[in-house]
Amino acid sequence: MSVTPEKKAPGVRVSGLSVVYRTPTGELPAISGIDLDLVPGTITGVVGESGSGKSTLALSLLNAVQSPGRISAGSVEIDGLGDVVKLRGEELRKARGRHIGYVFQAAQNSLNPLKTVGKQLLDLGRSHDVADLRGLVREAKDLLGRMGMDGARVLDSHQHELSGGMRQRVGIMFALVLNAHLVVLDEPTTALDMITQATILRIVREVHEERGLTTLVITHDLGVVAEVADRLAVMYGGQVVEQGPTMEVLGAPRHPYTQGLLRAIPRLVGDIDEARALPGRPPTLGTIPERGCVFRDRCVLRMDVCETEKPPVVSLGASIALCHAVEAAADRDGRADIPPAGGLQEVVGAQGATGVHEVRGEQP
Amino acid sequence: MFARRLAGHLARGLVMILVVTTVSFFVIRSVPGDPMAARYEKLVEQGMSPVAAQRAVEVLYGFAPTGGLWQQYVDYMSGLLRLDLGQSLMVPGVGVSTVLFSAAKWTVLPVLAGTLLSFLVGVVMGVYAAIRRSGRLGDVLAISGSLLHGVPQYVLALLLGAVFTTLIPILPTSGTADIMFEPGFNAGYIGSLIEYATLPVLTYALASYGGWILAMKSSVVTVLGDDFILAAELRGIKRGIVFRYVTRNAILPLFTILALSLGMLFGGAIFIERIFNYPGLGLMLIDGINNRDYALMGGAFLLITAAIVVANIVADLFYTVIDPRVRSGEGSI
Repeated sequence: MSVTPEKKAPGVRVSGLSVVYRTPTGELPAISGIDLDLVPGTITGVVGESGSGKSTLALSLLNAVQSPGRISAGSVEIDGLGDVVKLRGEELRKARGRHIGYVFQAAQNSLNPLKTVGKQLLDLGRSHDVADLRGLVREAKDLLGRMGMDGARVLDSHQHELSGGMRQRVGIMFALVLNAHLVVLDEPTTALDMITQATILRIVREVHEERGLTTLVITHDLGVVAEVADRLAVMYGGQVVEQGPTMEVLGAPRHPYTQGLLRAIPRLVGDIDEARALPGRPPTLGTIPERGCVFRDRCVLRMDVCETEKPPVVSLGASIALCHAVEAAADRDGRADIPPAGGLQEVVGAQGATGVHEVRGEQP
Repeated sequence: MFARRLAGHLARGLVMILVVTTVSFFVIRSVPGDPMAARYEKLVEQGMSPVAAQRAVEVLYGFAPTGGLWQQYVDYMSGLLRLDLGQSLMVPGVGVSTVLFSAAKWTVLPVLAGTLLSFLVGVVMGVYAAIRRSGRLGDVLAISGSLLHGVPQYVLALLLGAVFTTLIPILPTSGTADIMFEPGFNAGYIGSLIEYATLPVLTYALASYGGWILAMKSSVVTVLGDDFILAAELRGIKRGIVFRYVTRNAILPLFTILALSLGMLFGGAIFIERIFNYPGLGLMLIDGINNRDYALMGGAFLLITAAIVVANIVADLFYTVIDPRVRSGEGSI
């Protein structure tokens, strides 16, 4: 799974990013102080439960947080664009689509129901002052053909004439057709059946490598991440609690939340009862604690310090975790020996139908 | 496909008309107070012999009903097949269709003008109210819509009538045209027609404007929240193009309401016609009911039913033209 980063693939540096939502009870944080680097030419996966702030993070990369939300602090530096948070008006509009491609969740209807795909493609071309509209159509047909569809027929279709998997490929086409090299996919395979899901993930991977992209995949499905992502960020309560190379994070999870997530996956072989659900509920906007660790209420390794102190950033190998317990363990032994619960192999096992076989997890 | 659809609609429409005609025939006949019988009784009371009285009534109305209720029903329906709506009792010796047509011209044009005017203005203002819904002007527009929507037509008509007879008496408030002009195709008469139609049209437009602005506003707000609008913005589509995406999708459901309200054209605007003394279908229907003019009532109900049926068909067929999801018939949605 080695990726050769091409020159065109931009790097992205998210630092100190916070987004708040205005509510009747004041401004509540959806994500707070996120630091995340997207390495040029890699696929980064962001996983987390509903409400953990994944989609807010994804929209922030396009400075497109929807009202009543707003980016309250931090920056999103994208190579070739600068700080996206500072972009406004026409500059921002032109960056969207041309520099950053965004692919919507498959279940969502991201096409105008009254216009054919082709006409919407022309709208896209005109919006970005594409002089050679014929060339654009040719490019779109190539991309669609590349994804196993009849380009001419798809361009002549309305949204309702396409299946979920086809719509998703059309969405990917729209994200790439202007030659954007940073692509954000928000839940790209949610609501698709397993076969279509595997196809879409294969396409994402292939197109990513062919075109030399920097890709961010938002998902709640660890299997998806295991299949496509080079690097992984785990979100909880509006923070990235653990990040690092996918194999490292899934193979030897450090943060108790990541461990809990992996333990909760039912195995394809063995008893369903072996899967342990994480007790408790994720925090909502209003219940995110202001001080201390956001995960402490559900944490098995909870300590007194978790109540009051913000968890430290602990670097271990190539990955980073925000956790007092991880830090304590590292201090004690000079290395993290919190036993990883549920290694990568089992995640792969759970994803049997999507056919991951090139990744190998390491069991302790 | 299209022809089959149309044929199905027409068949259903005919059944609908048949049912409504039958029901209204018997309902009308069961209303107490038969005008011919009343006149006959009166003549007999005045000392005329029954035979002479019967003949006098026949001469007066130009026809006489024969047989029982069922026989009359069969006669009426077979007359309908020949597009014969029967004779008016209120205007003796004149066919119902003639009476209807003379009244229809005073209803269809003003109501059509009022509907289209309020539709255009209401839709434009509705878009504005939706886009500026968090601003002051948006609030004002939405509140004006709710207010006008809530005020009954006759109150609006009375208000406007009062204002334009007392405060600013610049517009005529009664009748259809100044009698000093010779009816015909001349500038003076047509100008006068327009002048006299202004208040009824204005009232009608104001009365329906509130509905349009509220409907369009909520439709636009719904579409603005749709995923494909955000998707278009995230693709960097120009504002003007996104605006067209919004408005075209938002106006679709309003076309159905428009087509249906055009179907109500022939129902007339009873209160408005009454207050401005405008001799349209609504006023005529009221007169017909007061005079127990069975044939006229039946004819008016038939006209209203037929118009609504036709409007439904037009709305449905129009949809197949403007909405690709309906066009392809067996779509997934």
